[in-house]
Amino acid sequence: MRKRKYLFVFCMLLAITLAGGIFTGAYIRLEDRREEGHKLHIVTSFYPVYIAALNVVGDNTDVELENLSEPQTGCMHDYQLTPKDMILLSGADLFLVNGGGIENFLTEVSEAYPSLNIYQAAQGLELLAEGDGHGHDEKQHNHSEENAHAWIDTRLYAKMVQNIAAALMEADPANQTVYQKNADHYCAKIQKLTDQFAELKETTAGQPAVIFHEAYAYLAKELGMQTVYCLNLDEERQVSARETADVLEEITEHQISIVFAEELYGKDLGNTVQEETDAEVCYLDTLVRGDYKADSYLNMAQKNIDLLKQAFKKK
Amino acid sequence: MSMFSWLHYDFMKYAFLAILIITPLFGVMGTMIVNNKMAFFSDALGHSALTGIAVGVVFGVNDTNISMVVFAVVFALLLNKISSKVAASTDTVISVFSSFSIAIGLAILSKGGNFSKYSSILVGDILSITPLELWYLLVILLVTVLFWLIGFNKLLAVSLNRTLAKSRHISVAWMENLFAVLTALIVMLSIKWVGILIINALLILPAASSRNISENMREYHFFSILFSMFSGNLGLIISYYVNVATGPTIVILASIIYFITYWWGRRNHI
Repeated sequence: MRKRKYLFVFCMLLAITLAGGIFTGAYIRLEDRREEGHKLHIVTSFYPVYIAALNVVGDNTDVELENLSEPQTGCMHDYQLTPKDMILLSGADLFLVNGGGIENFLTEVSEAYPSLNIYQAAQGLELLAEGDGHGHDEKQHNHSEENAHAWIDTRLYAKMVQNIAAALMEADPANQTVYQKNADHYCAKIQKLTDQFAELKETTAGQPAVIFHEAYAYLAKELGMQTVYCLNLDEERQVSARETADVLEEITEHQISIVFAEELYGKDLGNTVQEETDAEVCYLDTLVRGDYKADSYLNMAQKNIDLLKQAFKKK
Repeated sequence: MSMFSWLHYDFMKYAFLAILIITPLFGVMGTMIVNNKMAFFSDALGHSALTGIAVGVVFGVNDTNISMVVFAVVFALLLNKISSKVAASTDTVISVFSSFSIAIGLAILSKGGNFSKYSSILVGDILSITPLELWYLLVILLVTVLFWLIGFNKLLAVSLNRTLAKSRHISVAWMENLFAVLTALIVMLSIKWVGILIINALLILPAASSRNISENMREYHFFSILFSMFSGNLGLIISYYVNVATGPTIVILASIIYFITYWWGRRNHI
């Protein structure tokens, strides 16, 4: 009896090990098929940086471009590196990040891989300070004092693209002309968006706005609008009753006519605002998640512009 | 990816060492927790980690490990004291304590909408193991082994029948408190990489599986440690290759073992 029991336990553990081994083996083989010979290996931190780099790289087959997070991850505040991320970074030649404090795991990465070349796309850009222009003294976010959502402003985004091109040219001098050409081509497309914003600015300049996401501070700036109140709604943030009351009061007091919000996190509060006040809520995209198509930034930004045009035409 | 490529990374080495130390501990402690019907108690302890961190944050303690451990020890002793005095059944008292402490933790940590910063503690983060924590774990392992060698018979007597234990001049309260403190220490030191949501499963499952098929104390301990170490090590390796969180992988393996042993135990009338 006892012998049988030990045999049984042994068989059980062996079976589980085998099943686990086969399962894992199949998974690894599936993954390995995607890996190829040695190329310039570039890893980007999250979506806007990835799309920018994708456009600069173009159809250059000597470069392998990978993104650390999933396309739907969104902003990287409080992102947690997984073991797989660390492995991905260990094989990278260049790590392109947004910078400005969004990737708060950077120190961890540079400690683990001191030789990894980390490049901040937003470097040299004029970033807004966190909480710029809103009448709210409580600190809402836990990353550094800069508001780094610069990619929303098409003018700054174009600069980021040029920065990324410069970084790529340094890492891969052989393809310098290709990168410069791609970047210029892409920036020309971005310029079209910028022109449309400039057109919109003629009607919007000077108007006050309330924003429900820090990122829209850049949008308001590009439109020449004044941000009177910023409520930073994002991942896992709950709004208290007092804050809601504050927002509503602010909107009525300043006679705000437009509120910029994000569909995903701002919908509930947006509905309340629409019911309780005269302000119009405009649901825009923060351009931080989407698919991996090269044009997806342009398309989504265009959609934002269309929405804005509609919102301002109504009045 | 080669078979042992995971040993190239420092964080995997730390994780591997941590699992080698902690899984036998879980196996041993689990046997007594299952015996004493304390599953709910250890669960509440796990939840109190959140409050421990919150208290640490409020008082500005640099190493939240310290505030976590201190809070958990106080919590465990308090829980023991009150559950032995209050007339209501133990699970009610534990539930009240557990909910209260988790509510305090959530309230403090979610202030200003910052809870996502701490969400890693819910599912565990294997990258958070540091060499210092490995030393802590080693010390705890030694203490536990010592405690088991000296006090196991007394502990067993207490768990079988308190009155009987008292008649043999065993200090019941002392034994119970020591055991609770030890459980608190182990839970707190491993919670950051195992995760609050599943740490209890790791304590309970190996012992429960072992109970399914064991006929005496020696077997009970042996199988519990064996299952615990097996699911810990295999879980770590699988989670590394498949890219999922480690804690849940270990618990899934431990659960599979539980189901198989349950079936075997029923069939052979153990």
